[in-house]
Amino acid sequence: MAKKITRRKFLKNAVVGGVALGTGLGGYRVTYGQAKKTASLIKIGGQGAISGAHADYGWQMMAGATLAIEQINAKGGIFGRKLELKFMDEELKPATAVKNVRYLVTDWGADFLFGIDSSGSAMAVGPVLPELDRLCFVTHGATHRLTEELVYQKGIKQIFRLVAPVYQDALAAWVFKDDPQIKRWAGINCDYEYGYVAWNLFKENIKKFRPDVEFVAAAWAPFWTMDFSSHVSAVMAEKPDAIFATPWAGEGVMLLRQALMLGVFDKIQAWWQGMGGSVDVLEGLSNEIAANKFKGNLWGTARYIHNWPDTPENKTFVEAFRKRWGRFPNYSAEGSYSTIYAIKAGSEKAKSIETLKVAAALEGMELKTPAGPRLIRKEDHQAVYAVPAGRAMKSPDYTIPILGDLKVIPAKDYFRNPPFTPVAATK
Amino acid sequence: MFEKLVFQSLIGLSFSMYLWLLAAGLTLVFGVLGVLNFAHGSLFMLGAYATFTLYGKLGINFWLSIGLSLLGVGIVGAILERFFIRHIYDIDLAYQLILTFGFILIFDDLVKMIWGGVAMIPPIPSFFEGNLSILGRAFPIYNLFIIVAGLGVAVILWLILERTWWGRMIRASASDREMASAIGINIPILFTTVFVFAAMLAALGGALGTPVRVVAPGIGTAMIIQAFVITVIGGLGNLKGAFVGALIVGILTAFGILLFPVFELFIIFVVMAIVLMIKPEGLFGK
Repeated sequence: MAKKITRRKFLKNAVVGGVALGTGLGGYRVTYGQAKKTASLIKIGGQGAISGAHADYGWQMMAGATLAIEQINAKGGIFGRKLELKFMDEELKPATAVKNVRYLVTDWGADFLFGIDSSGSAMAVGPVLPELDRLCFVTHGATHRLTEELVYQKGIKQIFRLVAPVYQDALAAWVFKDDPQIKRWAGINCDYEYGYVAWNLFKENIKKFRPDVEFVAAAWAPFWTMDFSSHVSAVMAEKPDAIFATPWAGEGVMLLRQALMLGVFDKIQAWWQGMGGSVDVLEGLSNEIAANKFKGNLWGTARYIHNWPDTPENKTFVEAFRKRWGRFPNYSAEGSYSTIYAIKAGSEKAKSIETLKVAAALEGMELKTPAGPRLIRKEDHQAVYAVPAGRAMKSPDYTIPILGDLKVIPAKDYFRNPPFTPVAATK
Repeated sequence: MFEKLVFQSLIGLSFSMYLWLLAAGLTLVFGVLGVLNFAHGSLFMLGAYATFTLYGKLGINFWLSIGLSLLGVGIVGAILERFFIRHIYDIDLAYQLILTFGFILIFDDLVKMIWGGVAMIPPIPSFFEGNLSILGRAFPIYNLFIIVAGLGVAVILWLILERTWWGRMIRASASDREMASAIGINIPILFTTVFVFAAMLAALGGALGTPVRVVAPGIGTAMIIQAFVITVIGGLGNLKGAFVGALIVGILTAFGILLFPVFELFIIFVVMAIVLMIKPEGLFGK
């Protein structure tokens, strides 16, 4: 007779299993880089999402950083010391991110830290940096609270962010403010901090330009949402003129594909996909973009796009990246690449790799980077630089789609400035 | 308002039928074999990867790709059952958890090693690109297809269990394994076939999802939790319960997103809690 499995036992074990799955115990840690035992190396420890629906971002960080490190090492390194990289899987989990950071510094001996895809992870890592006495350059996690609260208010000088934060997602307010026929906005947003803040910032700003605008519907999608048809359908029931969407990476691709099938692009005038200019999204939707399924109404931005600015600096970077990796660099690649060069610039200016000396050297520095000139603000350690918005389209000059019909708005117009007024980080 | 609710419930129905594909196999394995198979989601994921590779990368006909994926995952299921699952039938549930959880980790990493960690999606088959007008709104042909597929699986399962010799053996073994064995049913082989069948159902879910869902390590894990909730709501090991549970979860989630968007995360668990409070053994459980 089979052992009787009581419902209680089933639930108990299912809960244990569910918790284990949720906290991600175990798992093959994909790490990049080998530890060498030489004291004369400068060790750079990074982490990002390298598995799951957002896995390209961690890979791109690793790829961009590796390219920079190889270039710098070929020219002798920093102070004649070569750079070495170790890259870990953040798993988009704050607890993992903190664990990685502690491991990288205390076990592996990292001199500098960078990376971090998740805002939640970035907020968790920030407060442990003073204790570890290391700088961490966040190259994706976009919450404004990282720089506005942790650096500006709480004075955690060890945090730097070289990529554009969530201010970039709210750029939609500037892009669409002069379209009088776009009045009814609906939001399909991530059900976590990034989504709340992006939506709130967008609403706040577009209301300033256009008091006539209405927010007719909002749907919230947690991490690992695979089926957005209920969200799209709920929002389309209110007949919006335009949609503001934040689900990113693989989720963004799924969302847009499902929206296409739901006939959304026959009805709306514009769809703003916050990080729609990211390489993995453009690749994932390249067939649809080439066939003009989005009717030219898919707009987006990114924290860097490979086709802007049209400078030798950017072209050289993109070519070198493609030669090295066979793909186009996305913004977490460019951000990580520029971060390594920032570490070099800051260390050389400070004539040291000591944490607070390098931090002081970087404050107020303007770096020349592929994304253009970046000014690292003293007050919040946030790099200020512009990234345009554009329509997703095919281009004869690139093998993947690009954002074209670019609207370039100066960063000083849409970046928030100190002193910062609070923005709701809830839905 | 009425049209909004009806349309949203249709969308919810397609979600329900998709969840049912996964919950059906899970329920079958639990009801007949008495095994809590956490790795069911991994079989779902393997089905998705197989179809993505065959259809998306190699350009093989979509339906043929699905058929081949089912075959492949069926073989994986047979190996799993014959060499591993067989040993944990009558032991503590905790060991089942450990073994099947271990397989989740193994499959996630295997998939990462073979295909890499980046999320991928195949081109959408042209016959799924359109939509029908229902209540004046565009309802995707794909979603309609999923509804039909889910209902089809339900009907086929019912026919198999009620009208075929194999189904009779399954029902006998589920209700009294010792007796079934005593009257000559070859339990080990029967159980392997059931596990393989369930694995193919999971793979079908994964395969049918590829037009609109990315393949990435861990996609099975996200689904399996929802499948478990459905199983609990419906009553452990009860197929009819799983079907009804899937209907409830899918449609209520869709309603929740429309009417109470702030609470989307919790809806499925609130429903489970309510059902357990009213009928602790599940809707159709004993």
